[in-house]
Amino acid sequence: MIKPFFYLKPRTLEEALDALQSDGARALAGGTDLLVEIRNGERRPETLVDIKGLKDLEDLTFDPQKGATIGAGVSLNVLIDNAQVRKHLPVLSEAAFSIATYQLRNRATLVGNFCNASPAADMAPALYILGAEVVIANAEGQRRLPIHEFLTGVKQTALKQGELVLRVEIPRLPKGKMAFLKKQRIKGHDLALVNMAGLADRPTGALRICIGACAVTPVLLSDIGSLYKDAKDVEKLAERVAELSGTAISPIDDVRCSKEYREDMVRVFVKRLVRQICSGG
Amino acid sequence: MKRENNSVKITVTVNGIEYRETVPAHTTLLQFLREKLLLTGTKEGCGIGECGACTVIMNGKSVASCLVLAAEVDGAQVRTVEGEMRDGELSALQKAFIEHGATQCGFCTPGMIMSAQELLERNSNPSREEIVEAIAGNLCRCTGYEPIVEAIEAVITSKDSPRRST
Amino acid sequence: MAETNDGYTYIGKSVTRRDGVEKVTGSALFTHDLVVQGMLYAKTVRSPYAYARIKSIDTREAEKWPGVRAVVKGKELSYKVGLYVLDKDILAKDYARYQGEAVAAVAADSELAAEQACEKIKVEWEPLQPVLDPKEALKENAPRVHPDLEHYGYMKGVFFPKPGTNIPHQQKIRKGDVGEGFRQADAVVETRFYNPPVQHVPIETHVSIAQALPGGKVQIWTSAQSPYTVRNLFSVCFGIPHQNIRVKVPYVGGGFGGKAGIHLEPLCYVLSRKAGGRPVKLTMTREEEFNTMPSRQGLYSEFKTGATKDGKIVALQVRYYWDAGAYADYGVNIGRAAAYAGAGPYEVPNCSIDSYVVYTNKVFGTAYRGFGHLEVLWGIERNMDIVARTIGLDPVEFRMRNVLRPGSVTITGERITEHHGRVDKCLQAVAKEIGWKGYKTEQQREEEKRSGKVRGKGIALLHKAPAMPTFTSTGVVLKFNENGTVDLMTSLVDYGQGTYTTLAQIAAEELKIPLEKINIPWDSDTSFTPYDWQTVASKGAFMSGNATIMAARDCLRQLKETASQVLRCPVEELECGSERVFLRHQPDTAIQYKDLAYGYVYPNGNAIGGPVIGRGQYIAQGLTNLDPETGQGLPALDWTYGAHGMEIEVDTETGDVEVLKIASSFDVGKVLNEALVRGQIIGGVVQGLGSAMTEEFRFSKEGKLENPGLVDYKILTAKDIPRKMTQHVVETPQTDGPYGARGVAEHPMISVPSALGNALYDALGIDYFRLPLNAERIYFGIKSGKKEHHG
Repeated sequence: MIKPFFYLKPRTLEEALDALQSDGARALAGGTDLLVEIRNGERRPETLVDIKGLKDLEDLTFDPQKGATIGAGVSLNVLIDNAQVRKHLPVLSEAAFSIATYQLRNRATLVGNFCNASPAADMAPALYILGAEVVIANAEGQRRLPIHEFLTGVKQTALKQGELVLRVEIPRLPKGKMAFLKKQRIKGHDLALVNMAGLADRPTGALRICIGACAVTPVLLSDIGSLYKDAKDVEKLAERVAELSGTAISPIDDVRCSKEYREDMVRVFVKRLVRQICSGG
Repeated sequence: MKRENNSVKITVTVNGIEYRETVPAHTTLLQFLREKLLLTGTKEGCGIGECGACTVIMNGKSVASCLVLAAEVDGAQVRTVEGEMRDGELSALQKAFIEHGATQCGFCTPGMIMSAQELLERNSNPSREEIVEAIAGNLCRCTGYEPIVEAIEAVITSKDSPRRST
Repeated sequence: MAETNDGYTYIGKSVTRRDGVEKVTGSALFTHDLVVQGMLYAKTVRSPYAYARIKSIDTREAEKWPGVRAVVKGKELSYKVGLYVLDKDILAKDYARYQGEAVAAVAADSELAAEQACEKIKVEWEPLQPVLDPKEALKENAPRVHPDLEHYGYMKGVFFPKPGTNIPHQQKIRKGDVGEGFRQADAVVETRFYNPPVQHVPIETHVSIAQALPGGKVQIWTSAQSPYTVRNLFSVCFGIPHQNIRVKVPYVGGGFGGKAGIHLEPLCYVLSRKAGGRPVKLTMTREEEFNTMPSRQGLYSEFKTGATKDGKIVALQVRYYWDAGAYADYGVNIGRAAAYAGAGPYEVPNCSIDSYVVYTNKVFGTAYRGFGHLEVLWGIERNMDIVARTIGLDPVEFRMRNVLRPGSVTITGERITEHHGRVDKCLQAVAKEIGWKGYKTEQQREEEKRSGKVRGKGIALLHKAPAMPTFTSTGVVLKFNENGTVDLMTSLVDYGQGTYTTLAQIAAEELKIPLEKINIPWDSDTSFTPYDWQTVASKGAFMSGNATIMAARDCLRQLKETASQVLRCPVEELECGSERVFLRHQPDTAIQYKDLAYGYVYPNGNAIGGPVIGRGQYIAQGLTNLDPETGQGLPALDWTYGAHGMEIEVDTETGDVEVLKIASSFDVGKVLNEALVRGQIIGGVVQGLGSAMTEEFRFSKEGKLENPGLVDYKILTAKDIPRKMTQHVVETPQTDGPYGARGVAEHPMISVPSALGNALYDALGIDYFRLPLNAERIYFGIKSGKKEHHG
């Protein structure tokens, strides 16, 4: 770490917001992205504001009527261990389980994963299809943004200096089948070459699929909801959705794999996803 | 909040002993353990949480100590490999590692043991898949992992208790 | 695994490793852990360019940075380092020759201060056009990586740098007449292969501490495989006499060849000298381990094989182009050694091999487990399958018709005897274990493809002899303690193989004392532990084992000599056993070892004998240099043969491969310790799978390493290992090995990629020619619809 920083652990939200006002201040939750960036010289914050003193942020609530809320301090393993999330929002548990390693998941948080805003963030596609909303605190009070407005670019979010994400809310429990798929290079811990989450509900004909790692921000496939309702054959539906996904994404070549492989894997995995969530009753 | 220098005061219990220290804010838990407390059992293999050589148990959970700040362990209970032997007795896991050839060069071993020990303390009968998941974040270049999995399985099937944390 | 015990007490037993307690308690100290009084921490400034002239380096601000005690740049140093070709500067002087090469260094009170000071060093660069491919580097107008090659010192008679080129060495093997051989052939097959540079990824990165002591002496602590090599090369480099250099090697966290030579020690020393003699420690970060520390050479291999229709190889013409990177290091020797093994374990009557080691502007290659043999056998064993198919023979059958057997002559003119290993038995063992019944038919493949998953089986053979100087030697000393225990002193380094445990077994067996009474002080120290050439080449158990036997017998001789006086009998009537020397025909007439260990004292006070110190040595016997034109000679201490059989399942939609089973077999001569042999095999196979499936250095077109870290350089995790791995040994005794044993340390890694490549053909009907065989490559082969995928 070339540039030493200050460390603060506020006891109240007001203290935290106040500390985050200064230019070089950054919030510290799990630290599994931020401390790596500091070590590599990618970020040089003046002050790290440890939000783990704010106990409210550890709340993980679940209500069949009202939906779920996941606080900024909730670690991925805590999320995975939560039986209700596993039962009703398995796409979140699956996405979380695919991230990093067991010991990193004891520290890394769901909110931290999407605040880091890597195009390949594994939590993001699930949050998109669940219609998640990000609740932000600032000196004026609170504001909320849908997840797709929160993520704005590569490592960029709509969060302003002096703001803090409090939690993410899933406003209502979705009906239907959901799943998360991720293509990696090895079975062990790896970043996604492509990832995606899908939700399908036969009665309403809702079909939502969001693809990550293939554009600067996750890509939510639009206009596919009606396809499911009219679909007579899952295989044909899968093929059609895969076709549409091809035009929606804009992947790149990078050190992990080629653009062409990403494109082709999106086709393969979108089909697998559709088969998985659109089959059966 | 007034900030004069970037030191932080911490009180932390490591392997049952309480320490009160003042450290620069940017000190990682790994550096604190190795350089301040001279507990060099825990190793640095990559500094970015990818290899697991720095794994310790913090408040009952295994963590990569290279990505935890010393400042963040104020008030915490930390366990390192040095605390696994008690009263001159190796733990069941340590004995199994020796018996099953689960250690070759030994550099990944401390982190591997802490990951495995934490598993055994939260799950008394893990499947092979669960064992592999618990240690997948610990890279080993020497053993090919199979003997490590065998050592952990041996502890599970033996009558020795893996020893609960105190 | 082993068949019989042959009446030994310890030999052949799976005795537990003796360093276990230190390792599982974290009390084992690695150089990574050492702190020396007054120690400073070093950091380096490295080149961002693959090839650049250093116009100027301004270190003034860095020198003033708080906590900085020394700053050094290349221009101040007039030393050359090298194992075989003295082509390397301690810090790049006028030119940086690879992206990542160190050009300046700082020693300071803390790592943080050193890092911050390094940021203040300003380097003015003139980027030059790099050459990044060995074939490009061979062209007429290629950039010269070492324009001064003709002025470098080098090991004459063994290596032949070519002035005016990028070639620090070229090795030739000429046996018979390949032209005539091709005329006799019914089929001539040409193939080409490539494998990229990779890294060892030891979990402990390279780290050294050096201290310039008063009076021109030097003290070094280092994570290294060869304390005496460090000492010798240090002496050659700085002109300091050997006895003034002390090298200490504590526990080492993995080496795999990457720590075999000399690396950080000279830089730590020059910093220490400049810092008024304070010890200086330099630890490579993981990124520096990838980017600055050496790699394994990449290789292009080209084969032209002539075979008769009844499956005999009659001609083999091979070209190897080694991507040595920016410095020769071990690379030239790898080019030599892999050439003399470069036809595989087969009898080839007419053979011509040209092995070119070529400089490029990339991180330099060094020794890596297998020393070139994994690289060449990737091509050799894939080629064997392709040739077999071309002439319509089953690949196992084709190999059986050509493998070396007693009476065969190798390509360097060595005659195989009854005492060599049996590669045919290894082949049969793995073929049986995976249930090899021949390739699938195209129809079977098509049927399977419909399910999206196809299975395949593949086999590959391997061989390797230690690649070492003809005069390689080692010494072992056994010294008794007053309680009858024995210290075993050796500079062989045990960095995980378990060799110390094996040596203890041998000592206990020979001295006829309980195993627990053999003590092996762990650290190697050139002041105390006797010479060992290097811990490489799978020769440790062989050579140091023999030396241990000799040392033990020397102890027994000394014990008997003193005992014969006390017992008043001829030495010939004495036996040793159960920690005592006794009269053969009157076993109760005996003296305990411990009463002789420091000399025997009579009741009246007279004393005879003295401390019992057994001395053993072993030097490679009968080896010769290779003829520079034909490569004929006897380079091999012993050959270990082996085979792998693999069964895989391929997801044809993604290219992902699941390794269902790997069966491995080696002729080890004699299993000295089954658990340790198993450990080497499993560990080596998994490491080999890394080379086979995931590992490669990726360079930008400017020559910058794009994946210097564990995020994008993937090694296998516990989740990635095969579902089943089996180990089998053949025991054809090596007459001159200890109890008939040969080495098996490197071998398990070799030919794993080839077995996978062959299994992929069986599964998909597609031939692949480049490593790694990752999902993306396999996928594009499937997508192309062609039978060959060269991408």
